[in-house]
Amino acid sequence: MIIDVTVNGVQRHLKSRSGDRLVDMLRKELRLSSLNADCLQGRCGKCLVFMDGRIVHSCLIPAFKARGGTILTFEEIAKNPEVNDIEKAFHATHTQPCPFCHTAKTMVIFDLLSRVPLPSEEDIVEALDMVSCPCGDPIGLIQTVKLAAELRNKRKFNREA
Amino acid sequence: MKLSEVFYPQDVEEILGLIRKNPDILLMAGGTGIVGSQPSRTIQLPEQVASIAKVQELRKTIRTEQFLEMGACTTFTGILSLAPASLPDPLGAVIKSIGNRALRNIATIGGNLCSRSRFLDLWPFLSCMDAQVEFRSPSGTRWASVGHLCGEDNRPLIPPGSLLSRLRIPHYNYDFVYYRKLGNSLYPTADSAMFVCMANIVRDKVEDFRLVFSGEKAFRLKDKEMSVSGRKTNTPKREIRGLVAEYKKSFEEMELFDSRPFAALLEDVFGRLFL
Repeated sequence: MIIDVTVNGVQRHLKSRSGDRLVDMLRKELRLSSLNADCLQGRCGKCLVFMDGRIVHSCLIPAFKARGGTILTFEEIAKNPEVNDIEKAFHATHTQPCPFCHTAKTMVIFDLLSRVPLPSEEDIVEALDMVSCPCGDPIGLIQTVKLAAELRNKRKFNREA
Repeated sequence: MKLSEVFYPQDVEEILGLIRKNPDILLMAGGTGIVGSQPSRTIQLPEQVASIAKVQELRKTIRTEQFLEMGACTTFTGILSLAPASLPDPLGAVIKSIGNRALRNIATIGGNLCSRSRFLDLWPFLSCMDAQVEFRSPSGTRWASVGHLCGEDNRPLIPPGSLLSRLRIPHYNYDFVYYRKLGNSLYPTADSAMFVCMANIVRDKVEDFRLVFSGEKAFRLKDKEMSVSGRKTNTPKREIRGLVAEYKKSFEEMELFDSRPFAALLEDVFGRLFL
């Protein structure tokens, strides 16, 4: 079957079988290298995408359910200046994630800051729960997200968080 | 690989038309339970599947003085985005404990209740809260208590050839709410279960006592609940021990689960309710 879907701002007509997962369709048809599907259970977070504005595990979604929807992957999100804030915060707090979960952690922090400009520790822990990779220091990551929020708010509103 | 035919109904009438033609069609809303429980790369689906998540009638939320009514395709995130005062206690906290945010963005309340393999997290709460569900089928519409989605074999019983379209949750907060989740937090395993107890305390008396333990099967005894309701909170300990022993005995006789965690939770509940 053909699935009409907008991926990273471009209208696509992607080939899929009824039993395909969304992550596999995106990888096969569009060669989106940021996506992986290791656990197939929504645990590892390596398949996170934004579907119709909400962050979702693309391994848990049958490809046919994306019909008529809008998908954003890390390839598009990475163009956003907010990702620079997150990268700067990773460097400044020495919490650079491992190569396996770097995109996933960036995606969940991006999602969190776009919903909650000044996240609490509880918000941060809840967001990071979407990625199961144990790399890095959890307390350091909380500092990273707080710093990223500060950088973002300073850049966007020219004020301290 | 066996291919399935996929339909995209636009409204409830179209869904009912599909059910009329094939009562075994799989109605998929979020699909997290169906997809997440399959370890294989390719998802195994029946011959016909209908994707119903985008049907607007199934996503509406209405709040009245008596109840909160929501369409079965309301996602958990959609429920959590309602004003906290709209959500009967402890529904918000329980939903927040299900999976992670990305999963809650797609999982739906209807999907949680329609699991055929086991009772998922919300069933025991909604059963205790006397929530009602609307089923629509080509032959008509009927409302049923969530508690009735349990068969005589104590396993989930979802009426075949019907669509769970709406839920009504009474706006009623209990004075005493106790729940414990046992087992895996993201996807349930054989030993995962939910223990829920609710009651009111009126003039030092325990009223409206409800107790549900559910996993692959469900345990609820209304006659035992009635024997607890009406007792004073300072009932002598000897009497309470007798009640706990009776509950345990009934539980063991039904041979539904390993009785040890149930016994420990039961003692904890009665210890908190009866001082």
